[in-house]
Amino acid sequence: MENSSRKVKIVVAMPGLDCHDRGIIYLSHVLREAGMEVVYLGRFNTPENIVNTAIEEDADVIALSYLNDHLYMIFFPRVVELLKERGASDICVMAGGRIIEEDRPKLKELGITGFFGQSTPTPVMVDHIVKRVKRERWKVN
Amino acid sequence: MGSEEKIKSTRRFDVCPVTETSAGIPLKDVYGPQDLEGIDYKDDVADPGEYPFTRGIWSNMYRGKLWTRRVFTGLGSTADTNERYKYLLGKGASGLYCFGDTITHQGIDPDHPLAEGYAGVSGVSIVCLQDMYHLFDGISLEDVSVSFNNPSMAATVVYAAFVAYAEEMGYDLSKISGSILNEPIHLVYSMFETNAKPLELAAKLATDVIEYSIKNTPRWHPIAPNAYDMHEKGANAIQEMAFTIAIMEEYIQRMIKRGYNIDAFAPRVSVFGCACDIDFFEEICKFRAARKVWAKLMKEKYGAKKAASCRLYLSVHTSGNSLTVQQPVNNVARVTLESLACVLGGLQSFDPAGYDEGYYILTEHSALTSLNIHNILAYESRVASVADPLAGSYFIESLTEKMEQEMFKIINKIDDMGGAIKATESGWIGSEMDHELIKEQKEIEEKKRIIVGMNEFTVSKEEEVPIEVGRDRPLEEQMATSKKREDEIRKLRETRDNKAVKNALEDLRGQAAKGEGHNLIPAMMESLRAKATLGEILGVIREANDTSYDPYEVIQYSL
Amino acid sequence: MYRGKLWTRRVFTGLGTGMDTNERYRRLIEHGETGLYWFGDVPSFHGIDPDHPMAAGNAGVSGVSYCCLKDMYALFDGISLEDVSVSNNCPSMAAAPTYAIFAAYAEEQGYDLKKISGSVLNEPIHGVSSLYPTNCEPLDLTVKVATDVIEHSIKTTPRFHPLAPNAYDLAEFGANPVQEMAMTIAITREYIDRMLARGYDIDEFVSRTNIFGCSTDIHLFEEVAKYRAARKVWSKLIRERYGAKKPGSYRLYLSSHTLGSSLTKEQPVNNIVRVAVETLGCVLGGLQSVDPSGYGEGYFVLTEEEGLTNLNLQNILAYETGVAATADPLAGSYYVESLTSRMEEEMWKIIDKIEEMGGAIKATESGWIRQELEKGIIKKQKDIEEKKRIMVGLNDFVIPPEQEVPIKVGRDRPVEEQVATSKKREEEIKVFKEKRNKSKAKNGLEDLWDDAKKGEVCCLIPSMINALRADATFGEILGVIRTANGYSYDPYKMIDYPF
Repeated sequence: MENSSRKVKIVVAMPGLDCHDRGIIYLSHVLREAGMEVVYLGRFNTPENIVNTAIEEDADVIALSYLNDHLYMIFFPRVVELLKERGASDICVMAGGRIIEEDRPKLKELGITGFFGQSTPTPVMVDHIVKRVKRERWKVN
Repeated sequence: MGSEEKIKSTRRFDVCPVTETSAGIPLKDVYGPQDLEGIDYKDDVADPGEYPFTRGIWSNMYRGKLWTRRVFTGLGSTADTNERYKYLLGKGASGLYCFGDTITHQGIDPDHPLAEGYAGVSGVSIVCLQDMYHLFDGISLEDVSVSFNNPSMAATVVYAAFVAYAEEMGYDLSKISGSILNEPIHLVYSMFETNAKPLELAAKLATDVIEYSIKNTPRWHPIAPNAYDMHEKGANAIQEMAFTIAIMEEYIQRMIKRGYNIDAFAPRVSVFGCACDIDFFEEICKFRAARKVWAKLMKEKYGAKKAASCRLYLSVHTSGNSLTVQQPVNNVARVTLESLACVLGGLQSFDPAGYDEGYYILTEHSALTSLNIHNILAYESRVASVADPLAGSYFIESLTEKMEQEMFKIINKIDDMGGAIKATESGWIGSEMDHELIKEQKEIEEKKRIIVGMNEFTVSKEEEVPIEVGRDRPLEEQMATSKKREDEIRKLRETRDNKAVKNALEDLRGQAAKGEGHNLIPAMMESLRAKATLGEILGVIREANDTSYDPYEVIQYSL
Repeated sequence: MYRGKLWTRRVFTGLGTGMDTNERYRRLIEHGETGLYWFGDVPSFHGIDPDHPMAAGNAGVSGVSYCCLKDMYALFDGISLEDVSVSNNCPSMAAAPTYAIFAAYAEEQGYDLKKISGSVLNEPIHGVSSLYPTNCEPLDLTVKVATDVIEHSIKTTPRFHPLAPNAYDLAEFGANPVQEMAMTIAITREYIDRMLARGYDIDEFVSRTNIFGCSTDIHLFEEVAKYRAARKVWSKLIRERYGAKKPGSYRLYLSSHTLGSSLTKEQPVNNIVRVAVETLGCVLGGLQSVDPSGYGEGYFVLTEEEGLTNLNLQNILAYETGVAATADPLAGSYYVESLTSRMEEEMWKIIDKIEEMGGAIKATESGWIRQELEKGIIKKQKDIEEKKRIMVGLNDFVIPPEQEVPIKVGRDRPVEEQVATSKKREEEIKVFKEKRNKSKAKNGLEDLWDDAKKGEVCCLIPSMINALRADATFGEILGVIRTANGYSYDPYKMIDYPF
């Protein structure tokens, strides 16, 4: 049995040059309040350094945020690809910010979930993260 | 007949739940003459145009000159932006707005590896002198003021390019006007911190612009601190102004150190780019209080003697954060009210956000709507006919006074910490802002703060009032735009006289090593004329100051 | 002020059948509407039934069609009248049966009549000089019947406002803000005098006849000052000239529809901007109830989208802006206080002048009010033509239609559908009239006729209610009252009394 007090470890990062980080500032606060261990990378990251950090830190989740434009369709898949290359595909990748509807199926296919936005209630996000980690990474119910 | 179950009425919506301002100042049910106790008309309020300028900086305010009616602009190529400028000028705009793209803010060139996909995407790409020719083709710079928003070290280069262009075109430099939102200290906790570091160097370059401008482009505002970004990142109305004023003190002190008298430059460093959020009266009082604080500081702390040194010019972009992606039509109402607060707050210039700001850079239609908000307020509503129409109101004067006191508390606290740079580097300002941001988000989540259409009065997407919003460019188009720009710059590098470029840059490097007191604008202009690029110019200066050529340490100096 | 109770947020509503309007009500209530707007169609304004030849094609077109008690069941289905106020706009004699039908329905539904609230914009004197001269004829009879509503209401439905003079229409027809309020006050005095003549004490009724339906133009401060001045004038008048003693008597309630003529057909999106400023004017003016215009008001009856936008605008003001947190936030402002005083003075001048003329009915009949209004219309049009008054998109900053920001405006429903709706209503009423217990209806109407013969002193509302319960219709009720007073049964002289 897994210890129920085990903490979810989550890397919170924005790839690329998008500067709109209100969302991740608040998200990180919420996740900490919910008892998770947050590795806060903030803005201006490359997919490489996000993946490196997640592996080094043995994180359960990478939470990616993007708002300004469409380039997340390059960065997000790249993160998934790098995890695969590094044999770390068991790290759950989730995304939020402004991910438009049309792009979601493609990202879902890559195993990215979440798609949280401005009006998503934070308990929904926390619940989603915890459930997915337990199911896919910790393999507990 | 009829359902038995009666619809419950909306009694729960009967009462106004707001009992404090968004900065947390408690609001009384009603204000009266007793709330004016301790407020002296001559000292604290005074007529418009009189110290301490609470009621505005001119005696007849908008009867003398209406506010400058700007609309947020900056998209794609310089030629696209130029086309939009001409459209807006034809529709009554009286000032132009130039918003740089992401990489211009970052001070890197379109062919930088990290720039892929970003050039010309959510703003206009400005890299070299030639870009100014495209941007202002067919527009007389003596007749229209231009406001640049390039919040980083890159702003220095943009200013140098603008002046170099104006000179080459033969404009009278003493007639060109506008401003540049270049202040870098706030960037550390708001937008693009990478290109604001090292902070000392960034502040030095910003001071160079001030020094050069007061001598050569005397109608230009060479430093417009970006209070807006701080607000959008959490700072409440009081903090927004107090932090900004504290930051400005850093430049004032630098200029004094360079040997200038306060009255020689203060009139030119006194324009703030603020936010105007939806908390109507608080915003109006924020502007009134900030003018007062600034005037008192200039006169009492820095010994300014000229009235002009005590006048604070205020400009605004209405708060993007106050808008919702849901039901964009509601944003027309929000932006209207925020714009009205700008007028009642006695602003010199503002640009109303587009109703689709949550989607993308303004479409032509949302830009037109923003412009019409200006025109309706200016010409139909008659609110501009009387200077500071709310003056004397028990509520307004008392809230103004309270906000002034709160601003001074913060300013004094920062002073005790050793100034804004210190308070930034220690992380104090940043943590204050985070605190406010988290508080606000929590209130929204708990519905203590209602945002119509977002956490209350929500409708499904299909039920929304249909209105055109800016559409994201598809990824392919975004990549292609950026690629095109990248190719342009690569071509520039191939076709220019690289030897001349190198000579100019090396000269700049030599000058940049001379330290704080040596002004780099002339050498930057020289480099620009030799067709050096933004990234190269900043890179060389950075290297001369013992910092990596590339802020991201990916590329090297290659000439 | 608004911390105790926010203004009532209404949206102009009324279309098609009772069922159509009911559906809209439910949606609006869901989105924060706190007061219903009940706007009748043209036949109901004229007091004719949907099967009247003049009603062909008009029933349910620009308002909701209603003419008998049964219609109320569809209109208010599922809505608790004890919880939401209802405001009806009916500038004609038909306002009296409208009130009667509402009261009769509420009673049948078992509501506590002491708890139902709302108002009826029934005042006819203003209509003679403004929009509805024909509807308000014969004036003496219409005024008498309107007074009956007051008399009945103060006893039976004490939370209801039985007389809401329509200042709005005066403004639309040329009155400037000072005239708008002064003339409305002068008009209301006619009813006060009648009620006093019927033997009531001022304090018994005046707290129910003190709600004005005003207009709010885009001139923000002038409008705010107008409302402040009007409250002041009213309270002085009621206290000093009429000797009222209860504070409730000198409180003036103000409600407003934002001024339709301040909007443009060009670029409807701009109207959202205008209406936002005007609605703010209402809030800063301390109004009790507001219904903003739709951005497509120049086109047709509000669409559902416009209704939602209006509610959202009011919700943004109520919840996001903080402007409602403090009572009368502009009080003390040098400008606003001085403008308020100035406007008060000007209002008194007009009120006194009308008094000298012998009251508002005399000033109406002599044509003086109309002349004053016409001067206003001419001046405003001239100012627009000469660009002294700029209207963005109309006489300045004009753009070709293809460059406009596209946004959907009415027509709510295609013409064929309107004609079909009207036809359906016509058939419905024909069947209704055929199937009802005719002798009962006839008896009800004849009792009413008897009462109507008794003249000024006999309040007709109870017998109207009885006739309505006996399934008589509006056209019949008003026809009987007309004939009893020596006028033709049908105002258009096209149909005859059926019994």
